[in-house]
Amino acid sequence: MYELARKALRLAEIAGAEEAEIYYAASHSTGVNFKKDSIENAKDRLSEGIGIRAIVNGAVGFASTNSAAQIENAVEVAVAEARVRESDPDWVSLPSNGNYPTVSGIFDKKVEALELETCIEYSLELIEGTKEIPGTLPTSGGFTRAKSKQLILNTNGIEVEEESTAVSGFVDVITVNGQTSTAYDFAVSRSLDIDFFALGKNAAELALKSNDGIKIEPQKTDVIFHPFALSDIIGEALAPSLDADNIQKGRSGLIGKIGEELAVPELSIYDDGLIEAGIETSVSDDEGVPSQRTTLIEKGVLETYLYDSYTAGKAGVKSTGNGSRSSYTSPPSVGLRNFIIDYPQTDIIADTQSGIFVNTVIGAHTANSISGDFSVEARNAFTIKDGALDKPVKSLMISGNAFELLKQITGAGFDVRKVGGIITPSIRVSNMSVVG
Amino acid sequence: MTGIMQDIKFYDCRVIEGSSTSIILDNGKIEEISRNFTKGAGIRALCGGSWGYTSVEGDIDLKKGVKAASKLAFSMNASTPKEDVELAVINPPEVKDLPEIRIDPRGVSIEEKVDLLKSIESSAKVKGVNSTKVMYLESEFKVEYRSSDGIESGYELMNVGFAVSAVASENGVYQAGRESRFGYGYELFENENVLELAGKAGNTAVELLNAKTPKGGEMPVILDQELAGVFAHEAVGHASEADLVLEGDSILENRIGEQIASPIITIIDDPTLHDFGYYPFDAEGAQSRRTEIIKNGIFNSYLHSRETAAKLGGTPGNSRAQGYSMPVVRMSNTFVDNGDTKFEEMLEEIKDGIYLIGSRGGQVNTGEGIFQFNAEKGYLIRNGELTELVRDVSLSGKTLEILNHVSLVGNDLKMTAGRCGKAGQVVPVSDGSPHLSISKALVGGA
Repeated sequence: MYELARKALRLAEIAGAEEAEIYYAASHSTGVNFKKDSIENAKDRLSEGIGIRAIVNGAVGFASTNSAAQIENAVEVAVAEARVRESDPDWVSLPSNGNYPTVSGIFDKKVEALELETCIEYSLELIEGTKEIPGTLPTSGGFTRAKSKQLILNTNGIEVEEESTAVSGFVDVITVNGQTSTAYDFAVSRSLDIDFFALGKNAAELALKSNDGIKIEPQKTDVIFHPFALSDIIGEALAPSLDADNIQKGRSGLIGKIGEELAVPELSIYDDGLIEAGIETSVSDDEGVPSQRTTLIEKGVLETYLYDSYTAGKAGVKSTGNGSRSSYTSPPSVGLRNFIIDYPQTDIIADTQSGIFVNTVIGAHTANSISGDFSVEARNAFTIKDGALDKPVKSLMISGNAFELLKQITGAGFDVRKVGGIITPSIRVSNMSVVG
Repeated sequence: MTGIMQDIKFYDCRVIEGSSTSIILDNGKIEEISRNFTKGAGIRALCGGSWGYTSVEGDIDLKKGVKAASKLAFSMNASTPKEDVELAVINPPEVKDLPEIRIDPRGVSIEEKVDLLKSIESSAKVKGVNSTKVMYLESEFKVEYRSSDGIESGYELMNVGFAVSAVASENGVYQAGRESRFGYGYELFENENVLELAGKAGNTAVELLNAKTPKGGEMPVILDQELAGVFAHEAVGHASEADLVLEGDSILENRIGEQIASPIITIIDDPTLHDFGYYPFDAEGAQSRRTEIIKNGIFNSYLHSRETAAKLGGTPGNSRAQGYSMPVVRMSNTFVDNGDTKFEEMLEEIKDGIYLIGSRGGQVNTGEGIFQFNAEKGYLIRNGELTELVRDVSLSGKTLEILNHVSLVGNDLKMTAGRCGKAGQVVPVSDGSPHLSISKALVGGA
């Protein structure tokens, strides 16, 4: 299909597209998964396809296929759809003039060359790690490696191609003999720098420590959110409001807030497509706009929203390089790159007299992405007493608002984690409402 | 390679070919029209106790695919040998009684579909609503299944549906209302009063602006059909999936035959119903069939694949996959069966409590048997009457406690179409229930 990308672009022009874009994506991934403590399966996945955007008279049509035999048909359908639509006054043009930065650390030859046997070994390391902690059993998990290739071509001269690799490990653990507690740990990276044994051990330790949970009274207290918990809440309750598309359609809690003090002055947030070895790092976004570092919140003040080329054209600003696609089957829309939360770091638990430490949450996706309201069930939560974790808490609901939360941050830990694209330390928030 | 194939005791292939259309109308404007043509296959091979799986997109050579999956299974079994996997025996499925399609959506022009979406959208734009979105989805696909057991079968299905959302805002407060319907032919848009539904989404958004968040705590609760259906699916259905049971990740492990719920509760999974989770045979070629998960409060059956059915004893038929992904044990159409109480009688009986309506999604920990669901809205119940509207309310607790605290089951079962995610795969499902009255549950609020 790769060889057909250029042909598809020409076909779109012949079919009458005034502008056209071909997005080609291919990936090969291998996963080795376990259930309980035995390896259950190996999966090999080959995916390859093309998405076509065709523009006629300021209207966009889109079609995609993974079958070489269907490319001509898909091109024609995309152009025909564009003809059906009325002209969009907000359409400016597909991206042009790509001067691309250099990025590093996103391709690792060793990942590409991994043999199945080595993948099995990494998966076994996850299991071995859990065995360090008696009284626990892994329930499921696995190791995955992937190699991806992407090519973007358009009739405005964009031509950008990139290869990347990724590995990940995931492990879910449950305690046995008596009390039942669960915990998980995971990591994603561009290269083989993950300690899989430690992931297994951490998850098992956390599950065991969560046994014998106590019930606590409803209260307002300091809550420290582990990077896993925080990134879930931020990703669901805050990030959608920074999306320029939501701003332009009246579906964001941050409309008209540029230049306003949104957060405590110690807090800055960046969206960065360029950082070394980031999971969302690449020379361009998914429509060929060069990647950049965007300051979203500087010292508490909201500086900008995130734009792809369409929303940028509509607003009369430059794209921030946030055109994102989940697959070749969808046209681009605004999405996060590496989303970095920055706050002065301290030994955060030691600095906390009393409060709650929350490792993970469930139900963050039920947040109201416009108002920022969220209500989540805290998992693997512990009380904090005199600067140390004290007792596990059995069941805990935490309700709050993502925008309020930004104004109540009082500290951050040294424990920065890359949770997919969201990069954050543990964050302490004062005056959170918890119901035990 | 011949050497390897001798050790492969089972393999199967699913070839899927199809196309889909989506149209998104956003604030009166067509935001996206997109068509997708796909073809691909998923191939499994079993060697000893190890599964090899290969998925390939595009035009595929099945023989090559079987070899690749076999090689994976063989290598796995060589490096980490374990107890052989047995598969429950199945008969070739009978493909019959597929949902009848009266109006083929492919025969309806894009212009006509766009016009329909525009009228849906304008119905949602009631006074006070400042943003609307309507999505139309249509997909048709052909599945062909073949296994080394000699099973060979196939079917074609076509889905169509829409979702509408409306957002209202006032003084920095934003609230949304959503409605959706999915089915099997374009006649869906005649059978359902889609304009009325759209208006309902708009009204919900506006009403919620002035709703308050109640004080949280333990209280008597009535769940509407949608939220109770989500509970049946998320909290009970997932915990009855035999793969989770075998992983040690289900609170229902070793509970068959035990009274785990109030005796008025019966929960069923039935892929033969023409709701959104319908299939004639599952991703392993097993005939679809109705399963009583809980019968009169007694835990009756897990949901099975061929592998889990052989291990735990049971009948396969619930193995499903998204596209070319590896099949896992999944639900289909899952519901609490009808009881005999009228909604009005429930209100009278409960006196004071809260009525929770709709769902903004939920999540559950099947191992510990705890769950949390956010309702779309609710009404406080005082003296047997519905009073103020409330928002940002959630329900959480222990699955088994809630099942035991069900005091009344309504007579008004209603199914809702949705999509369920598990193991990184999303499949169409439906879930439902009549109204349920629960004597005590933890409600989250302000």
